[in-house]
Amino acid sequence: MMKERKGSNMNPFEIKGCVLLIRMSGLPAAFNLRELRDRIASCSADVLYHHFCETPLAPSFDYPDYRNDFAVWIKHKLDDDILAERLGIIDPYSFPSMEKLRVATLDIIDDRLSELTVIPWARPGHEFYFTEASTVVFDTGERVLHPKDLGAAIGAMTTGSIYYHFLEARRRPPRCVDDFSSWLSGFGKAWAPHVRALKQIDFSFYTLAELRTELLKVLKDVKGSNERAGKRAKP
Amino acid sequence: MIRSIDAYRDIVGAPVIRQLRRLGERLRGIRVVHVNSTAEGGGVAEILAWMVPLMRDLEIDAQWRVIQGTPEFFSVTKAIHNGLQGYPVSITGKDWEIYQEVNQSNAVQLRAELEEADIVVIHDPQPAPLLGMCRNRKGKWIWRAHIDISRPSRPVWKTLRSHVEKYDASIFSMNPFAQLLPHPQFIIAPSIDPLSEKNMELDQDELDAVRGRFGLNPGKPLLVQISRFDRFKDPVGVIKAYHLIRTVIPVQLVLAGGEATDDPEGAAVIGEVREAAGNDPDIHVLLLPSDAHRTINALQRLADIIIQKSTREGFGLTVTEGLWKGKPVIGGDSGGIRLQVIGYNTGFLVNTPEGAARRIRFLLHHRERMSQMGVTAREFVRENFLLTRHLREYLTLMLLLRSGVGEHRIFI
Repeated sequence: MMKERKGSNMNPFEIKGCVLLIRMSGLPAAFNLRELRDRIASCSADVLYHHFCETPLAPSFDYPDYRNDFAVWIKHKLDDDILAERLGIIDPYSFPSMEKLRVATLDIIDDRLSELTVIPWARPGHEFYFTEASTVVFDTGERVLHPKDLGAAIGAMTTGSIYYHFLEARRRPPRCVDDFSSWLSGFGKAWAPHVRALKQIDFSFYTLAELRTELLKVLKDVKGSNERAGKRAKP
Repeated sequence: MIRSIDAYRDIVGAPVIRQLRRLGERLRGIRVVHVNSTAEGGGVAEILAWMVPLMRDLEIDAQWRVIQGTPEFFSVTKAIHNGLQGYPVSITGKDWEIYQEVNQSNAVQLRAELEEADIVVIHDPQPAPLLGMCRNRKGKWIWRAHIDISRPSRPVWKTLRSHVEKYDASIFSMNPFAQLLPHPQFIIAPSIDPLSEKNMELDQDELDAVRGRFGLNPGKPLLVQISRFDRFKDPVGVIKAYHLIRTVIPVQLVLAGGEATDDPEGAAVIGEVREAAGNDPDIHVLLLPSDAHRTINALQRLADIIIQKSTREGFGLTVTEGLWKGKPVIGGDSGGIRLQVIGYNTGFLVNTPEGAARRIRFLLHHRERMSQMGVTAREFVRENFLLTRHLREYLTLMLLLRSGVGEHRIFI
């Protein structure tokens, strides 16, 4: 997958748009846990990435119990809450590569398979379909010139832009850093509290629309506390 | 009515409209030709009726061509359609010849335009052979399957496959509908038009008029199932559920669908429904003309709960319509209903009349929860199943095709 390097920090923030289209992977559907495990072992990194990371952008109900498709299917279609919980806690962005994520996922499933006496099956019509996505990333032409304007810009972003700049960015160098923090870091200490606040957002529990609201709230709260601190410091 | 994409700004928000315009800029001036087999009636014509004008609004040179056919041709394509949906059909060699010949005569009319087009979208099986008849084609060709071909009659699919496998890409409405083909297969769910007569906001006077017209009691909770009279929609099961509710809570039920003038099985099902309904004044079996969109809209808006208790279903756009009107939906655990009805969030999936009755009783006893589910349902549709998302995915596909479909990510 092509990687885009984040821009240098003092440049204007370039707002990108990101749209996604789901496509079939060509893998057969999985009817049981063993088949799921074997397909995860052999699927492409794009398939793995899609089921772990791109779910917020897919047209689906956005309040699943878990953020990855495997945990959701295992809970709802295989009725294995234990395995769903173990897989559901995985943070895909914490792995240095999709291969490491694959190994960790397979470890968890293999452990569970060793505990089970019967392989759990899904009812017909409830099988797991392996898909992947094609994405188009485009320049919206919109720019943020100063950090003070970032909040307003975030408020006007599509969920695709939020996904690209706050979630997908973690896979691009510098890894595990969102684009907003990366850009704000270039404006010195004054903006360090904002960067810290952004880092504290537990993004896996928000839909993209909620994430946009949370980003706005966090930036506003920091601004408010800075202003209060500024007032207190004045004689 | 021809609308600008800006007409949807208040519904989906300015960022979504801006995004569509940005994507459209990259496709400005390209010629896109959609080909299907009917200019009006049916879901495909409904989609093209809004999609082509909206693409033009984005300055894409979008055209819509309808193939001409004989009654024999449409009998054959009806059989193909049924075979693809898994019904046993007999299609003879002569039938396939008719299919081929009619496409050949359409190719004579359309060839020059199709061969020059940048993108050609062929909808459903009827015009599928056109690709093989346009040997000097310059653009990318997409085959769009609007029907469920998850378990097709093998002989029918085998012949059709020989036509569609040569396309550059295909589109299916849901994962289970896709068939293995030697080109990329994309998933694009259907959508509803929030400004159409079936989904637009209606004023209270109009709702009251419809309530009065059908003798509905404003004081009793109203359950509504809108669907054709077909055993797969289980209207008799809905009446059984009603009887199970009625023992505890007074309710009224509307079962509304099209008149089954050309469908002998439909007439039989209506007979069964009427028999099951008996003389109960609170069960209203309504046969509506095919253009009764505003009436259907009003009935859905008057409902407390929408039912779609199908035992077999495609995507289930009547569910989408109900959710968009802020109603919880009791849906059969089948097809695309599973994607839309999420337990305790937008409604409940059920398998039996008993299950439907129990969930409806739960909702009627938890009015606040029902309201909250309605709010969630509407937002769910706004985010995922309105035509703006549908258009965005078509634009995305066209951009991908023009960049090479092998790419998983493109930067433009």
